[in-house]
Formats: sequence, C-alpha cells, structure tokens
Amino acid sequence: MVDALYSKPRIAAPPAPARNRLWRLLGWALALAFLVYLPNVLAHRAAFGVRLTNTELLNLGLTQINLMLIAMLGALSLNYLTGCAGLISIGHAAFYATGAMTAAIVGTQWGWPFPLALAAAAVTGALAGVVAGLPSLRVRGLYFVLSTLAVHHVIVFVFLEYQFRFFDVVGVPFEAPLLGSYELNTPTRWYFFLLPLVAVVYWALRNSLNTREGRAMRAMRDHELAAAAAGVNVRILRLKAFAFSSAIASMAGALLAYFMSNVTSEAFGLDFAIQFIAMIIIGGLGSLGGSLVGAAIWLLLPSILSGLAPQGGDASGWMGALLVDHKPQLVQAIFGLLIILLLIFAPGGVAGLGQKLKALFSSRGAR
Amino acid sequence: MLAQVLFSGLALGSIYGLVALGFTVVFKATEVFNFAQGMLAVCGAYFAVTAISVFHWPFGVAIVFMAVAAAVLGVLIHILLIQPLAGRSMLAVIMVTIALSIVLRAVIEILYGPQGRSLVTPLPSGVITLGGLRISELHLTAALVSWACMALFAAFFRFTSVGLLMRATADGHEAAVASGVNVNAMNRLAWAIGSLLAAIGGLFLGQLQIVSTDLESIGLLALPAVVIGGLQSIPGAIVGGLLVGLIEQLSASYISPKSTDIVIYALLLLILLVRPWGLFGQRELGRV
Amino acid sequence: MNNFKTNKAAFVATRLAVAAFAAALGLSGAAARAQEAPDDGVYKDHIDWGILMDLSGPTSSSQGPWVTGFRDYIRKVNEAGGINGRKVNVLAEDNRFNAAADKIAFEKLVSQTPVIAISGMGTSASQVALAPEIKSGTVPIVGTYTPTKALSEPVSPMVYNGFCGYKQMAQAGVGFYVDQLKLKAPKVMTVAIETAGGRDFANFIADAATKAGGTASAVTMKVTAVDVTAQVQEIMAQKPDFISIYGIENTSILTMKTLAQYGLAIPAFGITYLGTPSVYQALGPQAGANYTFISCFTPGGSDQSPGNVEMSAYADKAGHSALKENVNYVSGWVSGQMAAQALTMTGADASRAKLIETLAPGFTVDTKGLSAPIVYTKDDHTGPKVLKMFGYDYGANKFKAFGEYSDYEKYTK
Repeated sequence: MVDALYSKPRIAAPPAPARNRLWRLLGWALALAFLVYLPNVLAHRAAFGVRLTNTELLNLGLTQINLMLIAMLGALSLNYLTGCAGLISIGHAAFYATGAMTAAIVGTQWGWPFPLALAAAAVTGALAGVVAGLPSLRVRGLYFVLSTLAVHHVIVFVFLEYQFRFFDVVGVPFEAPLLGSYELNTPTRWYFFLLPLVAVVYWALRNSLNTREGRAMRAMRDHELAAAAAGVNVRILRLKAFAFSSAIASMAGALLAYFMSNVTSEAFGLDFAIQFIAMIIIGGLGSLGGSLVGAAIWLLLPSILSGLAPQGGDASGWMGALLVDHKPQLVQAIFGLLIILLLIFAPGGVAGLGQKLKALFSSRGAR
Repeated sequence: MLAQVLFSGLALGSIYGLVALGFTVVFKATEVFNFAQGMLAVCGAYFAVTAISVFHWPFGVAIVFMAVAAAVLGVLIHILLIQPLAGRSMLAVIMVTIALSIVLRAVIEILYGPQGRSLVTPLPSGVITLGGLRISELHLTAALVSWACMALFAAFFRFTSVGLLMRATADGHEAAVASGVNVNAMNRLAWAIGSLLAAIGGLFLGQLQIVSTDLESIGLLALPAVVIGGLQSIPGAIVGGLLVGLIEQLSASYISPKSTDIVIYALLLLILLVRPWGLFGQRELGRV
Repeated sequence: MNNFKTNKAAFVATRLAVAAFAAALGLSGAAARAQEAPDDGVYKDHIDWGILMDLSGPTSSSQGPWVTGFRDYIRKVNEAGGINGRKVNVLAEDNRFNAAADKIAFEKLVSQTPVIAISGMGTSASQVALAPEIKSGTVPIVGTYTPTKALSEPVSPMVYNGFCGYKQMAQAGVGFYVDQLKLKAPKVMTVAIETAGGRDFANFIADAATKAGGTASAVTMKVTAVDVTAQVQEIMAQKPDFISIYGIENTSILTMKTLAQYGLAIPAFGITYLGTPSVYQALGPQAGANYTFISCFTPGGSDQSPGNVEMSAYADKAGHSALKENVNYVSGWVSGQMAAQALTMTGADASRAKLIETLAPGFTVDTKGLSAPIVYTKDDHTGPKVLKMFGYDYGANKFKAFGEYSDYEKYTK
C-alpha cells in the first residue's frame, strides 16, 4: 500500500515550447529580484521609497527570516532522512546541539576561523549521525524512533555538562563570525550568507537523490525487503543517509550558535526537535521543496497570525481577555488545530496540495 | 536509608505504572503511540480541580466527574483525531498526538491561566512511622490505588467478555471485524480507559505537588517505562513503571539528582539494542 | 472541452483573489500611512511602550502576573488622562522563554512596531545574547524582571534593573536568619534546581554564610522532579540551621512537604519568586509554618501603606484580586510606576534619546510602601536593593511581614 504521505513518482514532462520557457525564466528572474530586495525592505520598512506598515509587511522582520533559513537547513536534512530514506528520527535537535558544541570548542575555545568551525561541525555531526543510526541495524519502526529519543537525551545531557563545566552559567558565547575579513554582524549580511547556503544545500540534496544511491534510498524507504533482495546494501545506505543528514543539521546548529551569539542547552529541547517533524509534515514528506515551504510556514505563520489580530490595549470583556491576556495561547491553539486539520485533510502536506492545484490548472486534464 | 529510597521509588513507580498502563492499553488496541498521554494526565488533574474548587462538589462526586470527563475526552479524541487517520503512516499519527497536546495545553492555559492550582482533597497527607521508616500516607494511598486500578484492569481484560473482545480485537483486527465485533467501539473503549488511567495518575501527581500544565512531563517518564516493560504487554507496563520509579530514586540518592534522566535513557537505549521487545513483550515477526 | 473552461475560470479566479488581497493590504496600509510613522513609538496621541516576557512558556506562571500588574498600572494612568496628554499603549511580546523568539521580538519592538522603551526581559539567556545589541542600540531597558551580569555590568545608561538580584536575596535572607536565630556560626543548606541561576544563588548563599562566620552546602534537583526524598535525606544528615530554596513553585512545595513528612522543623526561605499564594495554599498550615520568603516587593493586602491600598483597590476593580497578593504582580505594578515616572520626567517632547538623557543622572521611584524607595544613581542601576522577609498567616489568610524595610537595609549595603 503506497502511503499517500509520500510524493508520487513523477513522470518527466514533455519539453515546454519556447514561449513557456521565456515565461519561466522571467518568473525565476522576478523571484531572484524579490529575494535580493527583500532584506532592504524589511530593514528599512519601505519599498521603493514608500513606507510600509507592520501589517503590510506581515509582521515580519529580518531576524525571523534568518532564523527561518537556518531552520530550512534542518527541515531539508530531516526530510532527506525521513521522507526520502524512510528513517523517522526525533533526534534532530541533538545534532544541532552537536554542531553548537563543536563550534564552541573549535571556535570559541580554540579560536579557529568561522568556516573551519562549520566544517568541523559537519564532521562531528556526521559521526554523531552514524552513532545515532547504529540502532537501526537492530530495530525498526517505533523502536527506532524511541532510540533516537534516547540519543537526544544523551547528547543534550553532554551539552549541558559541557556548558556548565567550561562556560559561564548563562550559556556558551560566540563571537561575531568572520568570513575572511568580512564580518557577519548585521541581519542583512547574515541573510546574504544564509540564502545562497540554503540554495546550495537544496541543490546538493536534490542531486544526490537523482543518483543511483538516491534511488536506492527511495527504494529502501518504499519496501526495504524488496530493495535488499534487489541488491541494495540497506545497512550501509541507512548509515550514509544518517551521516549526510546529521552533517547538515550539525552545521546548521553551528550557524544557529553564531547567529544567536549565546546558546544554552534549553535551546535544544524536545520541542525544538519536534518542530522539524512538524515542518516536514506540513511541507510534505519526500518533497524537498515542500520542506522549504514547511519551514517558512512553521516559523512565519505565528507572527503573521499574531500581527493580524489587533494589538488591543484596553479591550474589555471576554473577547478582550482572550485577545490580550491570552493571545499567545490562542495563537498556539490555532496552530495546533491547523496542524491537525492539515494532517487529516491534506496528507501530502503543502507539496501534495501544490500538486493537486497544478493538476487542476494544467491542460493535461483535457485529453 | 535504602529502605526509604526503595519505598518512595515503589510508590512513585506505581503512579508511573498507572500512566504507562493507560499508554499500553491505547497502543495495544489502536497501535497509536500517544505522545499526549502526559497531557491527558494533566487534563484529569484539572477536571478534579474544576469539580472541587470551582463547582465545590463533594469529593466522591468530584472523582466520578473526573472519571467520566476523562473517559469522554478519550472517546472524543478517538472519534475526531485517530479514526480519520486510520491506516496512515506512524509519523502522521505521532504528529497528530503531539499537535493534540499543544492544543490541550493552550486551551487549559486559556481557561485556567498558567498559574498552578492547588488540589484540595480529603486524601490523607500525614505520615506513618514504621520502625525507622517514615512513610507518607499520600504515597501509600497513591501506591495502593494504583495497584488496585492495575489489578482491576488486569482482571477486566482477563475475565470479562468485553475485555476478552478487546484483546481479541487488538490481536487480530481483520479477524475481529469478520467475527462481527464493533472494532470502533472497542477502540473507543480502549481510549476511554487509557485516558481514565492517565487522569487518576494526574490526580495523585497533582496532590503530591501542584496542578499545572508542567505535569505533562510525567508522560515522558512513562515512555521508557512502557518500552522497558514491553510495548504491547500489560504486566510489562506495570513492571516497567515500577522499575523506572525505583531506578529514578536510586540514582537520585546514590549518584546525583540530575543523573536520573541520563540513567533511564541510557538503560532505554540498552534495552532497545539488546532486547527491543522489552522484558515482557513478545518478539515481533516481520512479514513480507 | 469543459475541463478547459473550468480550468481557465479557476486560473483567473485565483489570480484575481491574490490581486484583491494585495490591494486590501495596500489600502489598509494607506490609512495607517496617513498618520505619522515615527521611528520610536511616540505618536501624537499615544506612546508605545514595549514588554518582552514569557507569556505562554514554562515560566509564564510568574511572568504572566507581572505583565498583568504592569498593564493594570498603565491602565490606571490612562484612565486618569495619560501622561503629558498622551495615553500609554503597552505592546507585550511573548518570548516563550526561547532565546530565538526573544531575538525576533526584540527586533520587532525596535524597528517593526517601535517602542520608546522596553520593560521586562525575563529570560536570562536572551539578556546575555542581546546585551551587546542593547547597549549599542537606541531602545533603553527600563525595569528588568531578572538582573544578569551581562546586562548590568558595566553600568549602562541603557539598562535599569527592576527586580532584586539573587545576591541581595541571599544576603538579606542569611542576614535575617542569623540575627533571628542568633547564630554564631550558621550552617546553611541550599536546595536549588540544576540551572545556571541555581548555581549562582548557591554561591551567593555560601558567600553570605562565610561572611557571617559559618558554612554552606547545596543539594540540587531536577526542574521536573516529582520527589525529593534523596535531597531531604541529605538535609537530615547535615542538620543545617536553616535552608534556602531556589527554583520554581514545585521546588518549594516538594521540599517543604517532604520536610514536614520527615518531621523536620527547619526554617526555610525561598527567593522572591517563590512567595506566591499558590505555594502557601498547596503547603497548608502544617508544612507552610516554617516557610518564608525574602522579597523586595510587598504582597497586596498585607499592610495598609498608601501604595498597597491603592494597588489592591485597583486590582479588585480590574478583576485581578486573585493576583494582587502575588509578588510578581506587585513587581509589574511597580515597574509600571517606573515607566510612568520616566515618561513624566521626559516631558511632552518625548523621544528615545530624550528618555535616556532624562534618566541618566539618576532618579528615585517612590512606591508609597509597596517596596523600599528604589534609588538609581548615575553609577548604580541595581534597582530594588532592600528586601524583607515575609511569611503567611493562615489564620488571617494573608501575608505577614517580619519588620520594616528599614530594618533590613544593613544586610544589603
């Protein structure tokens, strides 16, 4: 039984006529222009000289966008592991913590430059991933999920001990990172560093899925015994998927640490891990593009919702009490409900919905 | 003193066992790993607070109210959330229970505010001295009630026809349907029982400290209990809960209080690697 | 054929919907743009003042009441006509005790929905992370909920602490019990949760005990603990003269209840945040008899000072009578007083820079009895420094104080 949660195999579309290609190029150019101009708009709260209100800007700021980009790395890597390789893991926060700890050791303590710290974080992340993936050689399904939970607790405990032993009580500090002589000390600079990074990771993962190994992974996800029977070395492949995915997550953890300039172990709790699962489910398991959308929705939607509700200062009555005293709880409740509705009615996530919309518009319907 | 530590470990372990048992009942029947079990315990505690502190009903009536409300909540959850997701992947179901705990938490905080509420009950709160041991009457009551509940449900599953039907449904879904069993009703009953057990656990926890949404963390402790004991085994859940309680107290006393989490999760990892089906569970056969 | 028509219709429909939404957004903005769009929250008829606290996360049970207290005081001021002809509008951002959310919320209050100043900042980790940005930025922090070294040292014109520090709590608490129990070489034990602040507090207690010629030790517990048998057994073994407690409400409740279970009548005091009605209610007269807490704010209804009477009356009117006895509410109310005073002092021609300039030479907040006078000088922004010990009178159902604030000044010089 093919689970509707995974994306359907795609049949290559026939080559588009020249006129459509021009439109698509134009679309890409516009999107690129938008992405490049966005930080300017958000930093100055104005577009082309016209001042924009907070509501028009959807209550968003550049810090939020940067945090979203870092989270996208996590969502992409988790979707690679879970949606494409079929390994469900709630240990992603632990890999972020691994990256942060590595960056703390080599960056803050040993003084290595920022790019080297990122590389070191990727390496330790890969190692941690292999270790976390080892139980998969013995157990499957739910038991494996629980083993990732156990790994999560172990790694976070190690980070906590590390934080208390070597650093001041309120967290592990990080200096503003230097790329050569270019210092990443404003949100705009971070944005222009993170955006291409996310694009590179996305392309890397997508290309890796189109290789022989990538297809073998998807075969392993769909039916493990059949894949093994067809000659796929399932054990090694699983560990490779884990290593790749955790390396990216660990690097993202190092980025998060430098961006926040101070991290504590509380930042890597179970909530943090669960939010990545939420992102990939919203986006659609197996769809890398969907993870990007899922990360955007998860991180930006609460702010947007919060901004649309009135910032009532003196509202009275039960409506006022709800909106003023309990607005954050209201936003949480709406959010949880949205996830539930999405899970029940749109199992393919946003990617699934997107495919349905495309099918609605395409002329393939008129046969 | 070792005896003191052992006793409080067993008392707390009984409460964990209760929550773990609710967990296992739900899992056995509907194969759902209910991440919201801790939140159901909190809901139970708040039902009790509502009945006692808001409606000012006598204790007996309050308990009945709590039990009925918890059971109804369990049934509603099955109808609204679990049934529509039948046949879907495990990740989807896990996520829906997580989303459920988010919604429940937010609703409780809107209705009652984030401050804790104290639970005023006629449950005994004194101390019994036995030799050199000082035993809290509340701990003792909690342990006895938990044991009574567990024995009651074990008997229910073993000796009543409804219990037998539930076990049969859990063991073989299609066979049950073919035999004309109302599988949905059985599953709803399982959820009602699971929620009720969690509520009783929540009541005692709330009495031991204070009723707030932070009690949710009890669910996370029930998890290792269930796995160590065996995911599909009812005696396993009980034994697992007791073990977790004992290990927690022993490591808090003899190693350090913050080591309890790591010891339990390291043990969990070990069990998953060596004997994943737990102490009492049965080895699962993989079918092609 | 039909498919084509319906497809085209659907296509056009969605494009129109998107355009309509964008137009609506633009039009709504136009109306707002017609007003001024200041960069620092000062409008013709109101001023925006920001709050950054945990409203829905793990510490919301204490930070929520603080925000309510702040809002209530500001509402009272607005009802009386506002300040210099303007109403004060409180923008409270929720950080869910999460450093990343704090960073986002801070940016929001600085540049998206700009405010003239911010109060609260209840998460220590965020304070440390944001400290460089705050000190080199334009928005002052007037009245923090918890002081951290990163933000308070060195003294900056951008930061004014609004709550007593752990060092002062430790000093006053130890001082009180040493004098009360007439101890020559006090033996103190600290029960603390395993966090950064817990360690800090235990160290401060040790310092204070050593200065008084005694010794100190500490036991820790998990934040989510449900049992403290191990810790109490340690207390039984060491037999301290008195105990200090640091943590969340459960920490006090579990500790005192277990102490009572073991028949140990050791006096214990908790930090200010642990002196709430819910703790005393959960403890009951037996376990709560030996429990006190050290606080720089006076719970509502516990004395008849003019500030207390005024606050209690307004809280009752606003439907928050349950909260007025909560020290966090009182602290929020006092911070509201501080904000209002700062704005009054700044005058009608207000701006961020002017506010900072006005406060820099120093000022005093007179809370009319809700706390000792809070004195800020050019070099000292510590805030409330004088604390006194409180307990609960179960017979009269209200808090009782041990002495006056002036009696305690010597402990925290």
